[in-house]
Amino acid sequence: MPPVGDTPTGAEPTRLRAVIQSPVGTGVAAITATAVVGGLLLWAGGLDPWAAAGAMVRGSVGSWDTFVSITLVRSVPLILTGLAVAWAFQAGVWNIGAEGQLYAGAIAAVWVGLTWGALPGWVLVPAVLLAAGLAGAAWALVPTLMRLRLGVGEVITTILMNFVGIYLAAWMVHGPLQESTGVFPQTDRISEAARLPSMLPGTRLHLGFALAVAIAVALAHVIRRSSFGFQLRAVGASPEAARISGRVDAKKILLISFVGSGAIAGLAGGVEISGLTFALYEGLSPGWGYTAIAVALLARLNPVGVIFTGVLFGALQAGAGAMQREAGVPLAWVNVVEALVILAVLALERTRRLGSAGENS
Amino acid sequence: MTEVLARLSSIRRSFGQVVALDGADLELRAGEVHGVLGANGAGKTTLLNVLCGMTLPDSGIVEVAGSVVRFRGPRDAWAHGIALVHQHFTLVPAHSVLENLALGDRRPLAVVRDDAVRLAERAGLELTLDAVAEDLGVGDRQRVEIIKALLRDPRILVLDEPTAVLAPSEIESLFGLLRRLASDGRSIVLVAHKLDEVLGVADHITVLRDGRTVLSGTAGGYDVPSLVQHMVGTGVVDPAALGLESGAGRDSARRKTGATVVARLDDAHVPAAGTGSGLRGVSLSVRGGEVLGIAGVEGNGQREIALILSGRLVPSRGRVTLPEGVGFIPQDRTTEGLIGGFDLTENVALALHREDEFRDGPWIRWDEIAGFTDEIRTRYGIVSPSTTTSAGGLSGGNQQRLVVGREVTMARTMLVAENPTRGLDVTAAAFVHAEIERLADDGVAVVLVSTDLDEVLALSDRVFVAVRGELKEVPSAARTRSGVGALMVGGDAAGG
Repeated sequence: MPPVGDTPTGAEPTRLRAVIQSPVGTGVAAITATAVVGGLLLWAGGLDPWAAAGAMVRGSVGSWDTFVSITLVRSVPLILTGLAVAWAFQAGVWNIGAEGQLYAGAIAAVWVGLTWGALPGWVLVPAVLLAAGLAGAAWALVPTLMRLRLGVGEVITTILMNFVGIYLAAWMVHGPLQESTGVFPQTDRISEAARLPSMLPGTRLHLGFALAVAIAVALAHVIRRSSFGFQLRAVGASPEAARISGRVDAKKILLISFVGSGAIAGLAGGVEISGLTFALYEGLSPGWGYTAIAVALLARLNPVGVIFTGVLFGALQAGAGAMQREAGVPLAWVNVVEALVILAVLALERTRRLGSAGENS
Repeated sequence: MTEVLARLSSIRRSFGQVVALDGADLELRAGEVHGVLGANGAGKTTLLNVLCGMTLPDSGIVEVAGSVVRFRGPRDAWAHGIALVHQHFTLVPAHSVLENLALGDRRPLAVVRDDAVRLAERAGLELTLDAVAEDLGVGDRQRVEIIKALLRDPRILVLDEPTAVLAPSEIESLFGLLRRLASDGRSIVLVAHKLDEVLGVADHITVLRDGRTVLSGTAGGYDVPSLVQHMVGTGVVDPAALGLESGAGRDSARRKTGATVVARLDDAHVPAAGTGSGLRGVSLSVRGGEVLGIAGVEGNGQREIALILSGRLVPSRGRVTLPEGVGFIPQDRTTEGLIGGFDLTENVALALHREDEFRDGPWIRWDEIAGFTDEIRTRYGIVSPSTTTSAGGLSGGNQQRLVVGREVTMARTMLVAENPTRGLDVTAAAFVHAEIERLADDGVAVVLVSTDLDEVLALSDRVFVAVRGELKEVPSAARTRSGVGALMVGGDAAGG
């Protein structure tokens, strides 16, 4: 075998490093690092890490019913928003606006559900979900056009659109869509016909979970096998090479990936309304649109991986509730854990890049 | 004069299964320009990376100024007075030239400016300190890289293929500079693929083959054929077969050209941007079966012509007629031709995925593209473990073979090639030249845009020079290195 000249530079690979740099290895290493650091923080705060860990496990995967009715149910919006983020990030579109797009979808869903509540379910449920997707897409269209027409970076605009979405929902439940007694800051409940059917009888798990999994599989297929998905990845990996190839319409890719991402995030809001809460209220989302970034990054933007990382974060949030009740751990701690996971993934991702970088040094 | 500044002995380095260096030696003396030669993949870049602290050797000894050192990174090498001019550019695109030069320099900007102006003057390099780096052409960027390395006042200056994109007069002034820098007591290490250039400037030659040093001696004792023999390692070498003799144009009589015009520009305009000239009314007809060569100093409009002819740029004014089936070899393989994080098959798909035979409605037929990629890999001798290797991990020569292989396939009617042999060794370059000739013989039009004058003169049926956004045809009497060189800088061709 003839030797090759220009070769990777920098760190010398070790076996441990090779394991950490494998896709699954990164996830496991990130979670391990998070568990260790998080445990130390709890201990430093005068709490019992072992009791907290026990509560976390019991509250998330302690029994079949806990796992299905709490963890999986909580994972649905995380998977969907995680897919929205992964899809956009694959194209190099930094959509930080899943939160606002989710609220836009939730508003549209509840409005359709209340307005046409008398329609039969087989019409109404699809209509509710379609409205949610369209509203999310419309919400994303604003930053998309600003990027395409004016060259304004989407990171800032999508974050700002989040605030607009959150406060629009707040205004809706105090104003035009407030429930009929006019007492509580929430909407009326949508009719039975507008609700997603149960997926497993006897549990709270609704068909939204199956829908999220189906979308994940479909997106993975599009990204891996289709011409469009390939162009999307090319633009994300190197806009310059994609442009010079002469076969990629970068503007079209940007438009579809961005608006499509908004549609999926909007759908997350619609599914939450139609499948679980049946009404819109302030604070519907505890920041799913932001957690989605961690979900997507931990899955390395792989849609099928998002199913698993979404369930993982769902378990984290389910377990957090139990930790709070049983071990007196503040809910804010969960946010710390999420941040730690993101930091660990980014750090490990970085070492992986450095380890396998090409000749550019 | 004979003080040894650095010595690398019995250096070994493997990357996984691949042995890059297998006992290489290099001895650098003060006051010498040292040429390092070798075919693509012989280990030149890895050896230089060891010298510059970017790669740790598996075994072997690195000595600098008489003491054994173990570099942990490029900073250690800098601290020992070793500076590298990168083959691929490392400038911050949004920063000005001056800001790029000052990056990592703790002195005030004004001091760096004075220093840079003085160095540029001494080097005979033109430098616009306030231009933004991303607006610069490749040639200008390289000049900035050289000045950047010189600002560190190194004892050993390493240049990896510095001449590939420079005009002849610039190459001469660069070599003049290298000689002056050497005579100040420095050691200059030069990697270049054009052997006659290296022989023209180097005092000492080291030849690598298969990761080993096979020759180390005074440059005066060798000529081009004997060096090629050492590089290739086989008994008989026919210089003509390697394209080493720059002929005076091709024998176009054996092929009928001029029949069909396949592409046409009429009065094409492109606004000037940055230090580039744009286009100011270019008209051109490209005929099937001809090689149309365009020479010129970087930034005189040839880039725009290549982009327009390949359908990547629409002129602001003027008419363009283009055929179907155009291949395009862009000037920078790492940022334009390939996506480093994609594997070989995906990089081939970048050009092929919309062709009917490689798709099934909206779906890509990956098996077909993978099979096709394997054909390209075999046919073009690309050294890689498999088609699922990422392109960023290939050597520069192999990357270029991949781009050339892909685009030659696409070129059913016309091939537009920008500096297609940049960074390739003689055998690889000869292969690319043969491919261009073969395409032309098959009736495909080839537009060859190159800063390598010898290449343009040797291959082209018609030669044009791009000067300040305009295109001038070179009369056959003026088709010599000096004649075209004079036109390139805006003068009249001698005897034209």
